[in-house]
Amino acid sequence: MTLTTILAATAMLFAANDSTIVLHGVTVVDAAKRDFQMKSSQNSVRVSQTYLEENVAGSLMQSLEGIPGVKAMSIGSGQSKPTIRGLGFNRMVVTEDGIKHEGQQWGDDHGLEMDQFAIDHAEVVKGPAALLHGSDAIGGVLNLFTNHVPVTPFEGAAQVFGRTNNGQIGFSAKVGGRHKRFFYRANMTFVDYADYKVPTDSIQYYSYYIRLKDRCLRNTAGKEQDGSVTLGYMHNGFHTDIRVSDSYSKSGFFANAHGLEVRLSDIDYDHSSRDIDLPYQWVNHLKVLSHTVWQNDRWMLEANLAYQKNMREEHSEPVSHGYMPIPDGSLERRFSKDTYTGKVGIRCGFASQHELRAGASVEHQRNKQSGWGFIIPSFTSTSAGAYVFDRYTVQENLILNAGMRYDHAHTHMHHYEDWYETPISATESVFKQRSAEMSRNFNSITWSAGINYGTGNWVFKANVGKSFRVPIPKELGADGINYHIFRYEKGNPQLDPEESYQLDCGIFWDNQVLTIQIDPYLNYFPNYIYMNPTPDYVEGLQLYNYAQSRVFRWGFEAQVDYAISSHWEAQLKGEYLYAEQLSGEKKGYTLPFSTPWSVDGGVKYLFDWKGKGFAGLNAHIVGTQNEIVPPEKTTKGHWTLNASAGKHFALGATTLKVALHADNLLNKRYYDHTSYYRLIDVPEPGRNFSLMVGLEF
Amino acid sequence: MKKNFLSLMLLCALCACSSSDEEKDMTKPEVVESDTACPLECDTYHKGGTIPFKYLFKDNQELGNFNIEIHNNFDHHTHSGSAVECELGAQKQPQNPWVYNKSFEIPEGVSTYLAEEGIAIPTDIDAGDYHFMIRLTDKASWQQIKSVAIKIVDAE
Repeated sequence: MTLTTILAATAMLFAANDSTIVLHGVTVVDAAKRDFQMKSSQNSVRVSQTYLEENVAGSLMQSLEGIPGVKAMSIGSGQSKPTIRGLGFNRMVVTEDGIKHEGQQWGDDHGLEMDQFAIDHAEVVKGPAALLHGSDAIGGVLNLFTNHVPVTPFEGAAQVFGRTNNGQIGFSAKVGGRHKRFFYRANMTFVDYADYKVPTDSIQYYSYYIRLKDRCLRNTAGKEQDGSVTLGYMHNGFHTDIRVSDSYSKSGFFANAHGLEVRLSDIDYDHSSRDIDLPYQWVNHLKVLSHTVWQNDRWMLEANLAYQKNMREEHSEPVSHGYMPIPDGSLERRFSKDTYTGKVGIRCGFASQHELRAGASVEHQRNKQSGWGFIIPSFTSTSAGAYVFDRYTVQENLILNAGMRYDHAHTHMHHYEDWYETPISATESVFKQRSAEMSRNFNSITWSAGINYGTGNWVFKANVGKSFRVPIPKELGADGINYHIFRYEKGNPQLDPEESYQLDCGIFWDNQVLTIQIDPYLNYFPNYIYMNPTPDYVEGLQLYNYAQSRVFRWGFEAQVDYAISSHWEAQLKGEYLYAEQLSGEKKGYTLPFSTPWSVDGGVKYLFDWKGKGFAGLNAHIVGTQNEIVPPEKTTKGHWTLNASAGKHFALGATTLKVALHADNLLNKRYYDHTSYYRLIDVPEPGRNFSLMVGLEF
Repeated sequence: MKKNFLSLMLLCALCACSSSDEEKDMTKPEVVESDTACPLECDTYHKGGTIPFKYLFKDNQELGNFNIEIHNNFDHHTHSGSAVECELGAQKQPQNPWVYNKSFEIPEGVSTYLAEEGIAIPTDIDAGDYHFMIRLTDKASWQQIKSVAIKIVDAE
């Protein structure tokens, strides 16, 4: 994965024009496809801007969901988090231009905090990627690139877009230019959406019956405002740029249930479907990223520096809970996280067949929490790591690679006491401690080795690797009630770094007409950190404690592309995943949020009439998920019919792009096993049409 | 190293296959509703009196523990849509609301258990609408929740 990431980054930087291999588009060069397969022993999928434009959805992750093995865990219509092969949160990494994107990754009720319209292209690496990214890169990495270098003195694009299901309207524009050695880029995006529609008149949850007005999910409206500016200099193999970006979003939570609790409020939610009332959240992500590359024929030096400030507030109507009296104000929780990252890397070739890379990174993090609700303590953490990696081209069609990395991490958690008293006897009350002052050090050695072999129409790949994850403060130190999910969560200060071993294979076959790809994998965790529900009660709520158990997973993704004629293309793709806990109290059970199998079949008609165009139809079939673990519910399978069409029009020197997308054409009512609102029986959005009109100049 | 690892993987795969026929509990425990259970929806109790809690619990394998929690509903923060809709008193600010929260153990190894507890109602609490929450787990940690709306009134 190191290869693809760095190569992708450098290719973007130094190529005179965008050299992205369009995997999902229409202009696929077979040799390029094969070269891409030979580039890394890991399974990765590159996603072009064309793909992102054609598949634009409510959130970036929803746009990427068409890639086998990638899923979005959605909260509402405008926010979602990624999972790769069923692993999400702190078990995968999102990077932007090589720097790890730091939000509140552990939380399931907010999104990625990223402007999807600023992204030039993306790459999904499936499988362990600890070598380049250190902790967390267990399931895979989503690499996002916003580093396109303008080629003309002035260029730009503007887009307007809308969605019918949640009344979304949006505008995004970017400009850029290059003047000799200097270049600049700027972009901004505004999105505003209303409550989203579900194909049902009411929702039944436990013994509660919630009637919906106009089939709208009350108070799920939101808005997003993003902007960025990049300034750069490049000359004679030296390139440096600095990018400042800010992403702000505010969105409501479904008003009739906050977390798992059904709520009745005096707020007149039905007054407007576009306003955002309590409960709501806002998130702001500020990022300053400096990227420098210096290269000649023999070596390349790269240095990245970044500062990220992630702020998040969650507001809800103050109510008393257990021994907690009615709090003052609506601020339930607030997180303020500062992250400083530094990364250096070197790549050099020797003995003509070897390409050696080495790198080091440091990171410092401070996360402060406040508000009347408590989930994680404030903490600071510092980590450092270094790696070396060699890629050995034995012959043109046989490439071996191997690498090793060492990481050290230090986490310091601050103590936290309730702001209210809890009686401990008939006469005595105390401010209960929910988190103790604690320091931990973690060390990890990770490695990876792989092979690429090409023969005839075939490319075979195998990669074996170890990855790890430093336990997060919530897992180490939580000791309190999570009122969102109504459970008592108890951390375990003794947790070891979670380790994962994975064997990935890739089988690729391609002739001019047919492309077949199968990516199977085996994955073993000797100590998966699992929040284990117990039969016991603490302070009136079910006790969940963090434990480590052995876990085995296996699965595969498969994809067949068939170019029937110059006008017709067909595609069939699918994924399957199995997970089982081999030890611990939940031995024999699966893992939480297990992704059910799914299959996608589609046909596409391509035409060229005053510019390129296409129209396509796709059926998305998802299997029933009966493999669950308490407190989940089984989820029935479903299928949806979706359509998309796009057309380019040449208008002088500019190009007009129109993309139309229809989701869930039959307005089917179904549940997504991994959706946040699944727990309270809220179905997924109903029929939706989206339209995007863009102008490139 | 690599060879060892591959054999380890294979071993795991085999383990996974052989252990999959183990019996997993996939069924939630049950709080049995009946006319003899207590309290029932909309029941009224007096300050200084006792709630004679009595419910039958059942599980397909083995029961875990249970918890009883009572909190006020003066702000009408939740509403029950069950067959019986109780008439709620006017909304008000709590002065000294009753907070009751106690966990109880069920003897090990039983799949049916009749829980009976006398819950004393304090005399100095706010009268009004309360929620009586019964939470029940089984050994596999599936949880069942039952919410009963009750009313506490002044002593006669």
